[in-house]
Amino acid sequence: MVGVVDEAAVEAGIRQAGGELAAALPQGARGPMRALDDRAMDFASQDAELRAALFRFVDVVPACRSLDDLARHLTGFLDDVEDPPQPIGIAMRMGDSRAGRAALGAAAAAGVRRMAHRFIVGQTPREAHGVLRGLWDDGVAASVDLLGEATVTADEADRYAARCASALDDLAAVYAPLPERPLLERDSAGPTPRVNLSVKVSALTPLLRPDAPELGKRDAAVRLRGLLRRARELGAHLHIDIESFDSREAVTELVLELLGEEEFRDGPSTGLVVQAYLRDSPALLERILAWAATDRRRFPLTIRLVKGAYWDHEVVEARQHGWEAPVFEVKAQSDRNFEALTTTLLGARPRVRVAIASHNLRSVANAIAVNRLLGGAPADVEFQVLRGLGDDLQGALAASGQRVRAYCPVGDLVAGMAYLVRRLLENTSNESFLAEQAAGVPLDELLAAP
Amino acid sequence: MIAPFRNEPVLELRRSPQRDALLEALGALDSDLPLRVPVWIGDEPRMGDELTSTDPGDPERVVAVSAAATPAEVEHAVARAVEGAPAWAATPADARAGALLRAAAILRERRHRLAALAVRECAKPWAEADADVCEAIDFLEYYARGAIALEQAPPGLLQLPGERNTLAYRPRGVVAVIAPWNFPLAIPLGMAAAGLATGNTVILKPAEQAPGCALELVRALREGGVPGDAIALLPGEGEVGAALVRHRDVATVAFTGSVAVGLDILAAAARVPAGGRHLTRVVAEMGGKNCVIVDADADLDDAVPGIVRSAFDFAGQKCSAASRVLVHEAVADALITRLAGAVDVLVVGQADTFGTAVPPVIEHAAQERVERYAELGARTGRVLTARAFDVPSAGWFCPPTVACDLPGDSALLHEEIFGPVLAVERVPNVDAACDRVAELAFALTGGLYCRNPRTVDHVVQRSPVGNLYVNRPITGAMVGRQPFGGNRLSGTGSKAGGPDYLLHFVEPQVVTENTVRHGLVV
Ligand SMILES: Cc1cc2nc3c(=O)[nH]c(=O)nc-3n(C[C@H](O)[C@H](O)[C@H](O)COP(=O)(O)OP(=O)(O)OC[C@H]3O[C@@H](n4cnc5c(N)ncnc54)[C@H](O)[C@@H]3O)c2cc1C
Repeated sequence: MVGVVDEAAVEAGIRQAGGELAAALPQGARGPMRALDDRAMDFASQDAELRAALFRFVDVVPACRSLDDLARHLTGFLDDVEDPPQPIGIAMRMGDSRAGRAALGAAAAAGVRRMAHRFIVGQTPREAHGVLRGLWDDGVAASVDLLGEATVTADEADRYAARCASALDDLAAVYAPLPERPLLERDSAGPTPRVNLSVKVSALTPLLRPDAPELGKRDAAVRLRGLLRRARELGAHLHIDIESFDSREAVTELVLELLGEEEFRDGPSTGLVVQAYLRDSPALLERILAWAATDRRRFPLTIRLVKGAYWDHEVVEARQHGWEAPVFEVKAQSDRNFEALTTTLLGARPRVRVAIASHNLRSVANAIAVNRLLGGAPADVEFQVLRGLGDDLQGALAASGQRVRAYCPVGDLVAGMAYLVRRLLENTSNESFLAEQAAGVPLDELLAAP
Repeated sequence: MIAPFRNEPVLELRRSPQRDALLEALGALDSDLPLRVPVWIGDEPRMGDELTSTDPGDPERVVAVSAAATPAEVEHAVARAVEGAPAWAATPADARAGALLRAAAILRERRHRLAALAVRECAKPWAEADADVCEAIDFLEYYARGAIALEQAPPGLLQLPGERNTLAYRPRGVVAVIAPWNFPLAIPLGMAAAGLATGNTVILKPAEQAPGCALELVRALREGGVPGDAIALLPGEGEVGAALVRHRDVATVAFTGSVAVGLDILAAAARVPAGGRHLTRVVAEMGGKNCVIVDADADLDDAVPGIVRSAFDFAGQKCSAASRVLVHEAVADALITRLAGAVDVLVVGQADTFGTAVPPVIEHAAQERVERYAELGARTGRVLTARAFDVPSAGWFCPPTVACDLPGDSALLHEEIFGPVLAVERVPNVDAACDRVAELAFALTGGLYCRNPRTVDHVVQRSPVGNLYVNRPITGAMVGRQPFGGNRLSGTGSKAGGPDYLLHFVEPQVVTENTVRHGLVV
């Protein structure tokens, strides 16, 4: 439990685990043939105006009706950039002629498509088969996430639920013939499913209202029950993502309530998410653990610990309303809390299963170190990364004998744009670990206590 | 020193203790109903029962029993306001502001009860009712500061040797505030606060549907220290307002309401009665026919919920509410399908239930009016909303309606409905949408969903409206952030909650003093 592990030992363990992982990271991952999209992301990391222009452009790409339209949008956004670097100047001049716009539009569309391919494994689950098999071959499990437009109607909620159900079938077929991977299929608490799907409650109902959680819960419950049944039949794991704080109460309560229903005692394996950037996350975790303590289920609840993907949104919303933000406002506070919650979670096994979802070497090394100090087997803590952001870390984790799962979004460009923009933001944010790592911050500093 | 203005935070209703506090306040309020509202002039409240307000969701429930002002009481109120004017005008702006800030503190303390009252008396859903309380507080806080600035730091004038030029703003005298029911707290108090902060005496004629809310406002002002002669409460029907507007001694009329009444007020005010010694100034905020333009590159994930909120929250009973959507034909089918589906899942129900989007409309006549427009839409166009809403049988409920394919001259496209009815039209491009907006007599709010910055600039240039919102809902203007008011027949161009609003309540006076004496500058 918390406090059982001694701090100095943890720090030493972090250095060791972090060093092992760093040694296993591919060297010079980015070759000399750097693609346009890489260059664009580099520019974006350096210049706030360019970053804004890039994101606004990526965001609108699927809504553009022609290459000409694309180019007009691009030059429109670049207009706002005060001191454009040379390639941007060239782009702007191309925007002056019809032929230039067609060329510019084509180049830009190709760039965005490449970016999307980095983060999104296929337009449909079927298209993702190859990637999923390849991951499994490399000793990496996956959780598939179906991207979609926002759900604003009941039809859209039904359609998303149907897509999820058929994805479960589809994934079951993909994974059935694959060879055994004991590290990915069993931990001290028993077997764990191969098929793993992440779902979003906001897509399962158009009625999530921050001030009326009951409304969304009631509406989503019907569709979520159907998915839980299907997952149980197929022996799959269903993970319920957590989104912004506006829906946190509704989603958490919904999951705990449904799992408490008699019919789901025997499965499926399910999971929840706790966001360490929330100030009240320690209390929430205590509540979930108290729930888990009294709940006797065949598959212990999996808790995926993340920092939280909606930081800007939470802060802006709080500022606009004059509220105290529900999130920490200093990055190190989120990092420290992530570590504290990691310790709590690892100490709470086997009542719960633990998934540590982070690309931060320090956060990950901390979990490895604490797990070792607690005498846990490698299979007893799962590491999760996002496809396209955590590929290198994923390789290093697998190589060093850790259990790792890649979160693999599936969907077309229209559906995937919101996701893509969020990932790009994350990849270029000054506060992000990945940006620091890419900037060449030395390992010692990357592993220093937050 | 007074801290810089900031908006009063709305309750964080996503946290359940905040919701529970409101429900508890509603329980307490219910046990106090009906409230008794007097005609309140000077220190002499006169109780009466000529007027009642009822819960629009349950018309059997009487919320307030009110006296209605007689013609003699109108006379008396104006006479007292005239008497009280010099003393209030002579009170320094910071002392007047002190009274308003104390009133704000009182409202803050009672915010749960006030929100509950707006829920009961006007069927405002909780979030909207709470926002109404906050806006009322904001007006007090904002105008109090503004009036101090106006007195202590008026704009400078050119100064040459030998003369001293000063510009000062003086109160105009008696202000009649004629208020609507849809923002039963914020709007009456905003207009009254502007008058009071600048040193005028104020007579408040609230909407006959919301005397209970008005009483709470006047009570707070008086408890805060506004003298009895500076603020009077005259509940009543239309003729009370009409008498005030025509009164010789009323210098300023601050009005928010329908265009028909507004135009009547402007016409009446223009006639100087026998013995009249001033031009009555009218600050009028009238209706709207607010359009949302959706361009081909709009993000429908944002546009659909934004339009639904703008058109149907509080059953569309806001002057800022959306009533027309002009959508680019390239995305029209997708938008229409999603919009109809999103409206189909709206909860039509009681205002006191969290999650209700479309509460009952204010009164029976309003329900009949909305039904007429909805029928017209069904008869002459195509109604998109498919669901048969099960609305409570008591109460003035109107299911939300979305109609399209209407003839160009349809009343649904030109008249203010003030209810949950939305018309959707296809346009070949954004300029065609701007053309249709330009044809309207109203110009209050407008919306644009578009992601091309050049198109945004272009639409801004072409928009006649007072408040244009880009890629967000078109309601919910905040004091100090989105000063609010319309152009054309939507209003006199004043901006409530903006830096120049108070200028409508004052008269500039310039004093030039010769400082040369015997050839010397002294
Ligand atoms: C497999 C997987 C699944 C995920 N599922 C979810 C999910 O369901 N819900 C969800 O919300 N997120 C989810 N995430 C995203 C996650 O929350 C983080 O956004 C992302 O992983 C980045 O965190 P990091 O530890 O990798 O990187 P780091 O760079 O160490 O941390 C970045 C994070 O720190 C926090 N942060 C940034 N600036 C500040 C600041 N000024 N003050 C305080 N905190 C700050 C933010 O949370 C930010 O995302 C998931 C991530 C993975 C890998």
